Amino acid sequence: MKNIIKLTLGEVNRLGKYKILPISLATTLIWCILFFLITSDEAKELTPLFLFADIALMSIILLGASYHLEKQEGTIKSVLMLPVTQSEILISKTIASMFLTLESAIITSIALYFIHGITYNYAILLAFVLVASVAHAAIGMLLSLYSRDFSSMLGILMTYMAVFTIPALFFGFGIIPEKYELLMLISPSQCVYTLVNSAVMNEYDAAKIAIAIGYMILLSVVLFRFVVFPKFKRNSIEI
Amino acid sequence: MQNAFTIDNLTYKYPTAKADVIKGITFDVRQGEIFGLLGPSGAGKSTTQKILTKLLDGYNGMISYFDKDLKKQTNAFYEEIGVGFEMPVHFGKLTAIENMNYFSSFYKNKANIRELMERVGLWEHRNIKVIEYSKGMKVRLNFVRSMLNNPKVLFLDEVTNGLDPKNAKIIKDMIAEYKQNGGTVFLTTHLMNDVEQLCDRIAFCVEGTLGETSTPRDLKLKYGKREVKVEYHENGATEARTFELDGIGDNDEFHSLLKAKKIETIHSGETSMEDIFIIVTGVGLK
Repeated sequence: MKNIIKLTLGEVNRLGKYKILPISLATTLIWCILFFLITSDEAKELTPLFLFADIALMSIILLGASYHLEKQEGTIKSVLMLPVTQSEILISKTIASMFLTLESAIITSIALYFIHGITYNYAILLAFVLVASVAHAAIGMLLSLYSRDFSSMLGILMTYMAVFTIPALFFGFGIIPEKYELLMLISPSQCVYTLVNSAVMNEYDAAKIAIAIGYMILLSVVLFRFVVFPKFKRNSIEI
Repeated sequence: MQNAFTIDNLTYKYPTAKADVIKGITFDVRQGEIFGLLGPSGAGKSTTQKILTKLLDGYNGMISYFDKDLKKQTNAFYEEIGVGFEMPVHFGKLTAIENMNYFSSFYKNKANIRELMERVGLWEHRNIKVIEYSKGMKVRLNFVRSMLNNPKVLFLDEVTNGLDPKNAKIIKDMIAEYKQNGGTVFLTTHLMNDVEQLCDRIAFCVEGTLGETSTPRDLKLKYGKREVKVEYHENGATEARTFELDGIGDNDEFHSLLKAKKIETIHSGETSMEDIFIIVTGVGLK
């Protein structure tokens, strides 16, 4: 546990030093400025999409940037030479990634409250954000491990977005009819949207939420256990 | 003397490769010695080091670390070894001291960071971001990083590559001191100067196999020419003569030359380590 705390504090410290946290904060700030320009109803409609973008997209991009930068600097090798386990390293990276999405969710919620007086069940939103963040940290690691550098990772991410993220966005904007929501839950991005939207709108469909949470947990376990964990060390030491 | 590492018939193949990159090598690294693994790029030196430092697994053969199976070593293994990489391995946007404090915080047995950084001349630059360091400074910082946990075994990869002679000497002195204090060093390099000055024993690695393993002195004796070359001044020019080393004490011609001529230089027919490398492995150093 001590190692996880030290590794996580190191990760969070570097999020700041490498300007990843300021970029994430800047993105959140843009959402907050937008809240000033729109009505309360519009803000409530758009909030799930903002949070969705942070969890389903930004977290993957920032995790990939961080991983490839560390690989390029050779620091992952140095960390692997510490008396820590690979699981502890991966857990700390996941927590750091969750830190970014939580920061975004908390600031957005505060802004919504002070600008438009909008409130919702913060505990539920927090829980949903955490579950979705872990799954997307796993997806971010997966894409990072299967790409040579950050540019090639962005290339793979474009394909991922075309298949999963853009359809979920279309759903969010009402372009894809609601009757397809259950089918669309096969997409991790759609799961994020469903969970975040439920929490913000206070509309809970037990079946859909159960499927989305179950799928996020299953995806996290399968990706970390069978793909990320076995590939992480080997990939990290490759030049 | 106990072996720090005993490597028996080690073979290794990268998952995507068709052939073994390490082809059944056997050697040992004795406790308290500086063992040099020499070879050209791609010979398998770095792969061997990665296996011994547990960065790579899935090898065949047996590796023992102080008589215990390396595969069974837990992460406490990293409390006992230090690794000095050839390439920089520090967070560029953090200062040198932030990097050292961060890595040091994970070890139970902590070395004095200030002392180490002062020895290599980096203490006064401790608050500079590593990204602003020169190549030589990064190499010195890598060495400090490898010593942060007062390791029992030190792995060094091209440890003086990119250093000026003064700083290279400081590092080599620190390695020699470390050895005097009972430390074991596994050195991979292509710098023959380091080998001659530091190594107790060396092994030549080429295309995944090991050539001869011996001491630098024995190799020089074995592969050197047993002769003495004398350069002397005569009639306004430098002349040279070569004599057989065997029986030189009774060689009248040699003695007369020493008495009669103005001697400029006398050299025994030692072969350079690079020449020996070429003889043993049949390839040149890159």
